[in-house]
Amino acid sequence: MNKQNAGEFTPFSPSLQANVETIRHRFGGSTDIVIRMFRSDAAPDREVAIIYVDGIVDSETINESVMEPLMSMKLPPHAYVKGGKLLEALRSCVVSIGSVQEIQNLEQALQYMTDGLCVIMADGSAAALTADVNGGEYRGVTIPQTQTVIRGPQHGFVENVRTNISLVRRIIRSSDLHIQMHKIGRQTHTNVAVLYLNGIADDGIVKEVYRRLAAIDIDGVLESGYIEEFIQDETFTLFPTLMNTERPDTIAAALLEGRVAVMVDGSPIALMAPTTFFTFFQSPEDYYQRFDIASFVRIIRYGAYVVSILLPALYIAVTTYHQEMLPTTLLISLAAQREGIPFPCLVEALLMELTFEVLREAGLRMPRAIGPAISIVGALVLGQSAVQAGIVSAGMVIIVSFTAISNFVMPEFNMAATSRIIRFLFMIMAGIFGFFGIFISVLLMLIHLVSLRSFGVPYMSPMAPGPTRQGPWRDVFVRLPWWAIVLRPMDLNLRNPKRRPNGKKPPAQRHSDKA
Amino acid sequence: MNKWRLLLPLLACLLVTGCWNRVELNDIAVISATGVDWKEGNWVLTYQVVIPQAISSQGGASNSAAVNVFSTKGPSFRSAVSKASQETSRKLYFSHTQIIIVGQEAARKGMAPLLDTYLRNHDSRETVSVYLSKGSARRMLEQLIPLEKIPGAAIQRMITNEEMNSSNFRQMTIHQVLLDLLGTTHATALPGLVVSGTNENIVRAEQLSHTSTPSKIRLSELALIADDKLVGWIDNEESLGVMWLSNHVKKTTVPFACEEEGEAHKNSSIRITNAKTGLRPQLSGGKWTMHVDVTASGTLMEYNGEGDLSKPEQVNKVATCIESEIAAIMEQGWTAVQKHKVDVIGFGDAIRKKYTKQWSKMSGNWPQLLPDTEVKLSINVKIKSTGMSASGFKKEQKKDGG
Repeated sequence: MNKQNAGEFTPFSPSLQANVETIRHRFGGSTDIVIRMFRSDAAPDREVAIIYVDGIVDSETINESVMEPLMSMKLPPHAYVKGGKLLEALRSCVVSIGSVQEIQNLEQALQYMTDGLCVIMADGSAAALTADVNGGEYRGVTIPQTQTVIRGPQHGFVENVRTNISLVRRIIRSSDLHIQMHKIGRQTHTNVAVLYLNGIADDGIVKEVYRRLAAIDIDGVLESGYIEEFIQDETFTLFPTLMNTERPDTIAAALLEGRVAVMVDGSPIALMAPTTFFTFFQSPEDYYQRFDIASFVRIIRYGAYVVSILLPALYIAVTTYHQEMLPTTLLISLAAQREGIPFPCLVEALLMELTFEVLREAGLRMPRAIGPAISIVGALVLGQSAVQAGIVSAGMVIIVSFTAISNFVMPEFNMAATSRIIRFLFMIMAGIFGFFGIFISVLLMLIHLVSLRSFGVPYMSPMAPGPTRQGPWRDVFVRLPWWAIVLRPMDLNLRNPKRRPNGKKPPAQRHSDKA
Repeated sequence: MNKWRLLLPLLACLLVTGCWNRVELNDIAVISATGVDWKEGNWVLTYQVVIPQAISSQGGASNSAAVNVFSTKGPSFRSAVSKASQETSRKLYFSHTQIIIVGQEAARKGMAPLLDTYLRNHDSRETVSVYLSKGSARRMLEQLIPLEKIPGAAIQRMITNEEMNSSNFRQMTIHQVLLDLLGTTHATALPGLVVSGTNENIVRAEQLSHTSTPSKIRLSELALIADDKLVGWIDNEESLGVMWLSNHVKKTTVPFACEEEGEAHKNSSIRITNAKTGLRPQLSGGKWTMHVDVTASGTLMEYNGEGDLSKPEQVNKVATCIESEIAAIMEQGWTAVQKHKVDVIGFGDAIRKKYTKQWSKMSGNWPQLLPDTEVKLSINVKIKSTGMSASGFKKEQKKDGG
């Protein structure tokens, strides 16, 4: 559970006073350390101390389950033993808490205290007990803020990793759901949980996750983004190779598909690995809605992604190099809009796109109350005034707006962010080379995409490399009915690839057939 | 790191090259129609340039003409085009040209230079449709047309409308013209344009605010082209005959006389919705016979005869009337073609396909042989529907009276 160097261990002293002093000293006299020393009825001859960090423990539990029994309870005669056995007796007979452990050295004590456990020491014992009284103020489980669905569970992760794990446990009630805790961060000692379904997830991938997590050496981990940058396969890529979510049901679905989830204490955003390109187009709602609607929406999503990357570039290329491709009437109306515009099309597009990016960032950082003001100014400045002043053409405003809106169709924010940057590259290439530039850029992008991997899984699978087994397309561009999705995603090299015995709908008996 | 060092010169290359043929939309003059005239030893090219502001709703200036017409001249086509830069601020942009109007004089001189520019240049599109004008082409381009903002596009739509509704003329694109003139018979036919009405030109947008215009452009007569020169004109009826013979009738209305009324009264008509013509050449005794097989079907639109159309025999009778009417139209067309000795129907092509050896021997003097070809028509008309009424208005009236 913890990884500390054996060399640094400081054993407890038999003197309670000395131990308490050392702990107080180690914390530099911090005021949130509570040290309560008293004489217990159970062993009136020996002083007992309860030490914990205020605020991260549940004081009610301490009072009821630790303090009170210790102070008032008499040990039964058969349990009353002398000397060093006192702690053992306390553990077995007095402290009424589920998780109680005996520890042997000071570092462990400090670690447990910062984790929200309380340490119980008795004079004359060179050991201590820890009792799990974790608690304190946390944000309650609420509706996910970033990934909303209309149909589907409405609870999201919170900052407490234990709560988050419990949310997933409640969905997958199986002993196969294995959870491993790591502590990462020299100073923060952040709890990082790895979740996987034993018997489904590939052992190699699980081991690889452990290996990469173990290799992280950093002073602090404040969010799962820290972990993501350490464990992703390729750093210099615009495409995310790990997916994140704040939805327990999404994590549960990923686990069922054989993926591994990583949760970080202090962040409601959990990671999933391996992730392929196409998983970023799958919204949790796809699986809750009827399959035909889900498929339609998913196709729209792919289209919108292409639009959000390519539309401004296509507009630039067509209007500056390939005017013959437009229908005549469209050409004339575009030409009419461009009359009197001082900038070349490329500059116009860059100007508008950058303005939009600024507006968007401003809207994000603005205090809630000023948000509407930003949108009014933005709409007026961008939409109307710029056109009326003859600085940009109306067509360009339409293109930029539609591109921006298409970008919001993506269910995963990090994939949407990718297209915001790529768009500029495409626009510049289109401005320099026209369609030729766009084709070259698309080719380069595809070459880059197929070179990516996520925990060893090819990023573009099952498209490239091609599928090795049947039925891989049932949940990529469209989603077939649930009963037809027999296999888990092929590319994960699963130990147990089958979700269902066969791809047949269970026969339904019609009411009229009964007679 | 070596990878990145390589990337830097590549990026520099990006900045050095590129952009060379970049043209902004407000740097081009979109030409909707081109006119070709031959005047005093020079080619006179006329351009109908679209003024975008006048068309888009943003500008709102509806009382100004949407096009500007100007001409340049030169000894060759492209030299004339290049002179345009001396009188216009923008680059002439031919890719969106809808139509080309060739003046009669220019057509008599020969269309070869025009066709050569289309074969050679990538900005000249072969989907442009070609017309011949009896007068100067410039005159046609100056004429404004009601309903449409761009006259060039209007004429193009006019021929499409004609093609789909009466088939007296068919749209001839440069591509089709090239196929014909480089094909077996080196002959083609182009629709003609005339300005009918008074001599007053419609050149100002205000003139369109009247309910009727004193003059208008209309499709009229078919020009016969042999090799690359204008040979002669045939009228609209003869043109329809040629269209029937050459399998270019898409939809048309055939007026016909019912047997009882006699030839004079063509007071009934059928809407042909489907027509197909096949040519079967036959060589017998050194003389060519062309079997022309027509199958057509349509709906009766108008029937003022006495017959009872609820009886199949009567319907067949009417069909026979229609067949003979179509035959008459075709005869008319054939006679005209015979007169001008230009094989615009494609008899030569049909012969070449079936009698390749004989054709290679006689292809040189085919224009002389053409008029001697015997044409045998076999027409089969099927009346698909007689409309919603079986008997007819007059008969119903009589029934009531009697």
